[in-house]
Amino acid sequence: MQATLASTADGLRSLMRADFTTQWRNRKSVILVLIVPVIILISWKGLVDKFGAVFVLSNCITVGLNAIGLMGYTIAIARDRDRGIFQRLRVSPIPSWTIMMSRISVQLLMILLLTVCVYFFGYNIDKISISPAGYVLGFLAALVGGAVYLGLGQMIVGLIKNAETVNSTTRLVYFAFIMVGMFGELGVLGKQISEISKWSPYGAVRRILSDAMDPIHWNQESTMTLFVTIGYAVLFTVLGIKWFRWNSK
Amino acid sequence: MIKESNGYILEVKNLNVFYGNFQAVKEVSFSVKGGEIFGLLGPNGAGKTSSLSSVEGLLKPQSGSITVAGIDTTQDPLHARANMGVQLQSTNFQPELRVEEIIRLYGGVHGVKLSKDDIAKILNDIKLSDAGKKPFGQLSGGQQQRVSLVIALLHQPPLVLLDEPTTGLDPQSRRQLWERMEGLREKGHGILLTTHSMEEAEAVCDRIAIIDHGRIIATDTPAALVEKHRHDEPVVRASRKGRITLEDVFIGLTGSDIRE
Repeated sequence: MQATLASTADGLRSLMRADFTTQWRNRKSVILVLIVPVIILISWKGLVDKFGAVFVLSNCITVGLNAIGLMGYTIAIARDRDRGIFQRLRVSPIPSWTIMMSRISVQLLMILLLTVCVYFFGYNIDKISISPAGYVLGFLAALVGGAVYLGLGQMIVGLIKNAETVNSTTRLVYFAFIMVGMFGELGVLGKQISEISKWSPYGAVRRILSDAMDPIHWNQESTMTLFVTIGYAVLFTVLGIKWFRWNSK
Repeated sequence: MIKESNGYILEVKNLNVFYGNFQAVKEVSFSVKGGEIFGLLGPNGAGKTSSLSSVEGLLKPQSGSITVAGIDTTQDPLHARANMGVQLQSTNFQPELRVEEIIRLYGGVHGVKLSKDDIAKILNDIKLSDAGKKPFGQLSGGQQQRVSLVIALLHQPPLVLLDEPTTGLDPQSRRQLWERMEGLREKGHGILLTTHSMEEAEAVCDRIAIIDHGRIIATDTPAALVEKHRHDEPVVRASRKGRITLEDVFIGLTGSDIRE
């Protein structure tokens, strides 16, 4: 009898195939994640002239990143942990990091889909067109912003073991971010909230998206906001990894 | 290269496992040979699953050593796990995946490349030819156990770990699983089995260890344990209708109080 040890690449490839298949079979949840930004694009058509194209696009992408990180990724991790799926994978001869790397790679694809979707509908519905550099840099900024929300989601699932509690917490956080972040920045909730939301995870992500899509106006404050965003991503991810338990029991 | 250290495919020595300040496993030592079914029996909370989880690498013991096929599980966990096939107590797979996709996934993580024909043959061997395209969650309990076991064996591991595999199964499914376990034994696999069932322990185990309050209190063949303890007062008191069974020995050694 001989036991074989798969290469890490083969193991990761098998995991990714399974995780992408799982995501494909959950197409309805993918559509739900993408549809909210599209609805915002449609309803904010009249605000494009007032606030600018990149403001509208960046808000839509930020809302979508919020959903991907908090609702999609976090709830799936909590649910699968509760079911014992991770335990079964962890008794296999693959490094634990490959399990999470595979999950993250699915979310990276979701971020790409989101960005393309917002660009596409932004162009076709709101007649928004930005420079080629803006499209590319916007996507890169979306990846950084995605890291913030994935890290935040990882932190939540690290802090809370019960899958139902994770579910309700992420929904609360999602709505809180949307309300305070989106409406706060519009000035609807007052000047103080507006200032706070500017440096919140929502505001910082939205700002770097907006400035990346309009690179000509990138300035010192944009760079500061980028550092703050990266700081959020690192902090949330480190805490999320530190607190995470593979078993909910 | 597989090494059976002194003829043992699994050696656990002086294992100690803690959950915070609570010591769940105390100086546990046992070994499993190739071609042997070794049972770990104990009441609820005795330390069976904690011991098994330590072997599987899911729990880090405070101290002690565990070697699988001569490989230290703490120094080379991946290679050690490559030599184990594990069926957890409550195995679950991604509900969106079909049975054949799950088989392909676990074949991949174990370095076993499986063609469509290979997977079809595997499903045919466990009489689930029609279940390949079904989600795992749609299978019956017995079918799920068959799939879980075949996934644990895809890479032909020398050591097979089964955590209460017959819990919730009907008598037919249980008997079938016993036959499969005996088939594995004939092929030379070493099997470590945790169970509550005395009937199962007597039916399939070559040797058993009784664990209670984190310690192993007896290790031998089922028949030898009965013979050795048949005159012990607690065992005689536990017996019913004058016949001493393994269950009487178990209750005599661990007590008749209900464990939470």
